[in-house]
Amino acid sequence: MILIRGVTLFDGDKISEKPLDVLIDGGKVVKIAPSQAIEDAEEIDGAGRVLCPGFIDIHVHVREPGFEWREDLESCSMAAAAGGYSTVVAMPNTEPAIDSAPLVDFVARKGAQLKGARVLPSGCVTRERKGHLIAELGKMAEAGAVFFTDDGSPVSTSQILKTALYYTRDLGVRIMEHPEETSLTSGGQVNEGLASSVSGMKGIPASAEYIDVVRGIALSRDTGSPIHFTHVSTALAIDAIRMAKKEGLHVTCDVTAHHLSLDENHVLVSKFDSLYKVNPPLRSKADAKALWEALGDGTVDALITDHAPWHSDEKDLPFQEAPFGIASLECSVAVIFDTWLKLGRPVPLERLLQLFTSGPASLLPAGWRHLGRIEEGSVADLTLVDLDESRHVDISSWKSKGRNCPWRGEILTGWPVLSILRGSVFKKEI
Amino acid sequence: MSQEKALVMTEQDVFRILKRIAIEIVERNKGLDDVVLLGIQRRGVYLANRLKDLFRDIEGVKVPTGELDITLYRDDIPTLLEQPVVHSTSIPVDIAGKKLILVDDVLYTGRTIRAALDALMDMGRPANVQLVILVDRGHRELPIQADYVGKNIPTSRTEMVEVRVKELDGEDKVVIIERKEV
Amino acid sequence: MNWRHKDLIDLDDWTREEFNLFLEQANYMEELLNRPIKKVPALRGKLIVNFFFEPSTRTRVSFELAEKMLSADVVNWSSSGSSVSKGETLRDTAWTLEAMGADAVVIRYGAVGAADYLSRKLRKASVFNAGDGTHGHPTQALLDLHSAWKKLGNLEGSKIAIVGDVLHSRVARSNIKAFSKMGVKVVLSGPATLMPADIPSLGAEYDPDPRSAVRDAHMIYLLRIQSERQEQGLIPSLDEYHLRYGATEELVALGRKDVLVMHPGPINRRVEIASEVADGEQSIILKQVRSGVAVRMALLYLCLGGVRN
Repeated sequence: MILIRGVTLFDGDKISEKPLDVLIDGGKVVKIAPSQAIEDAEEIDGAGRVLCPGFIDIHVHVREPGFEWREDLESCSMAAAAGGYSTVVAMPNTEPAIDSAPLVDFVARKGAQLKGARVLPSGCVTRERKGHLIAELGKMAEAGAVFFTDDGSPVSTSQILKTALYYTRDLGVRIMEHPEETSLTSGGQVNEGLASSVSGMKGIPASAEYIDVVRGIALSRDTGSPIHFTHVSTALAIDAIRMAKKEGLHVTCDVTAHHLSLDENHVLVSKFDSLYKVNPPLRSKADAKALWEALGDGTVDALITDHAPWHSDEKDLPFQEAPFGIASLECSVAVIFDTWLKLGRPVPLERLLQLFTSGPASLLPAGWRHLGRIEEGSVADLTLVDLDESRHVDISSWKSKGRNCPWRGEILTGWPVLSILRGSVFKKEI
Repeated sequence: MSQEKALVMTEQDVFRILKRIAIEIVERNKGLDDVVLLGIQRRGVYLANRLKDLFRDIEGVKVPTGELDITLYRDDIPTLLEQPVVHSTSIPVDIAGKKLILVDDVLYTGRTIRAALDALMDMGRPANVQLVILVDRGHRELPIQADYVGKNIPTSRTEMVEVRVKELDGEDKVVIIERKEV
Repeated sequence: MNWRHKDLIDLDDWTREEFNLFLEQANYMEELLNRPIKKVPALRGKLIVNFFFEPSTRTRVSFELAEKMLSADVVNWSSSGSSVSKGETLRDTAWTLEAMGADAVVIRYGAVGAADYLSRKLRKASVFNAGDGTHGHPTQALLDLHSAWKKLGNLEGSKIAIVGDVLHSRVARSNIKAFSKMGVKVVLSGPATLMPADIPSLGAEYDPDPRSAVRDAHMIYLLRIQSERQEQGLIPSLDEYHLRYGATEELVALGRKDVLVMHPGPINRRVEIASEVADGEQSIILKQVRSGVAVRMALLYLCLGGVRN
């Protein structure tokens, strides 16, 4: 039995007004009440901190099968848990790509037995992510896929996307679209605008993201099927999604920590350090501002890391030669809280915490949605956050194999200090 | 910070000494035929110009006068605090067969003159090179000597001899300075 | 003044004072080119590696001349047949060079940020950027500045028109930076398909009409148009480019009476510049080349001459 004392409780929806004690037993939350007195319980003092449902990250690149030197299911699971996440969703752009039921099953089984966060599988929309033929979406849903995505790429043609949207409409598993019009972005390295003008590298225009979002919205309207846009980075795309929601369409989206805290100036100021090379690229300051506004007004449904681990031999190259991607599972939560604090808390804390918990949970198939809440009887996946804790980002202590992190060495404020997974303490730093 | 310790030459002293040196040069070279004055940057240049004016007044001869920057020949740059900047080198005539009179303000270790000689070797073959120095402060590290010396002033290694010229410093004066560690 | 730079990667943090000092130093270096023995011992014992991973003759030769005139030991490491083409990374090459005792590396490499990257990897050696992809070519900008300054003196308040493919040009980017720092008004002209997305952020203006761009300009700077641009569909033909944007005598006449015509070389006659203009009185293209050696000597001396901050 574990008793966490005196916490401010966020249950997935609201923040409690008074401090509460939370009792955990047998892998579940057993009782939530002020000032409980329990014998034989391991007591943890949570005063001054916020206890939340275990954070959920619906977009993580696990690299297994096929690229295990960059990351594997085990190291990813441990890294996620160290970062305050109790559940992550693995992207299917592996080798082989997860485009069939046996492969989904492989990830689902392994992902359920890991020592850290649980890893849920996603499946490709098209076979081998090639964009020609739809994969066996029904079988994959049965095997446990929680999203369908060709991430890394958009679904290639509008016709295929439309067909897939129809097919998944009543399947209960959402399509997660990576919004990018690739004929406009091919060869691009940085944001089209300041970064491309100063560096001379080919730019990735905001309109490439916007065009694909508008396409997806139109097809969602036609088919009546939900569509989720991932790592939205531009004001243009956010505005389109906001309008679609107003119209009542089933359109959702997520935003990364790096797009909320960094912008294209960082590419220049860092003197083209490849740690700042990511797709979609770091955008303008105005875009980042628009993303924060969208967090506040309900346009955004979830926060993600888009954790993209690379071996340093692969990433430590001149900017133009390096691959895209930031590894951030173990500091992303702190990056967001730190930026939020520095901006003067532009959104209510409650809203921010929803975006880590009930928000992403609501995008998962019905069987998993309970993960975003704490109530008596719920699975004890819990994250305790200390908004006053300041710490260095110390990549040498990371569980992840990927160390390509632009915040390395920085001092950030607002860390997850306690992680409870399925009723057991995974990490305790108080 | 540095502190003026002693006044070694006043403006009048400088003028009288240069006049005496000018006369010595005329005597030893039996006139001013083929004589070329070459001031070493920076203050040597101004002193050379003074000698040029004195030759004009005393002998009525216009002696070709140039400037030589030896920065690129120095051997002591790694020991300095600041990267020295280069100044102009401009020699109005071909030095082959000429009697070159090098002019500098202070003779100390001798390394500046060594650098000047290296530079001259690359520029041509003078008949001879003679050296005019306003102040010889001792502590030679190379076998270099001046042919015409204004004044011999023994100094210690913590002292510095500062030659000031009107054109750069507002006054003609030579002082000894105690160099304090910062 | 204390010269505080040990490398030259870009001109971003050079002050106006530093530019002025540098231009004077380059002048004094130019005098060496007139001597019978064009050699001074200032960099004796220093090992400089010219690491040119992109083909280049003029820039490499210019650097080599400057290095040798300062008595440095020079090694030329070029791309073809080198270990980099066999797959050795830039990082490993950098460490190898340092282990061999290189005091400085002059690098031309086809990726933006390569010189910055190299300087992060080298612990002691100085790095001189001879061109990093489309981003910068700072020594070109310095020599352009020097040759213009020699002719015009103080450049504050003057106007330069840069005409051509700015989008792909590191020369243009470095020049826009350098000339604007010296108080020059920079106007860009050329087809919109060959312009960067955000010109104001670079500190310049755009005029689609080259005639008004060069009007009353003190300097007209022409950029090379590569034939690939036609293949990439960015311009319909080199001939059409010449008709609309080429520096013909008529176009140059719209500048000031004593306008300078400049080009980084090598020139494409009858594309960006007419032969009569390239060989004409206003052209200082060959003087730019001469400035190139002097400027590189000044740079090497100031950064490598011995004092380490």
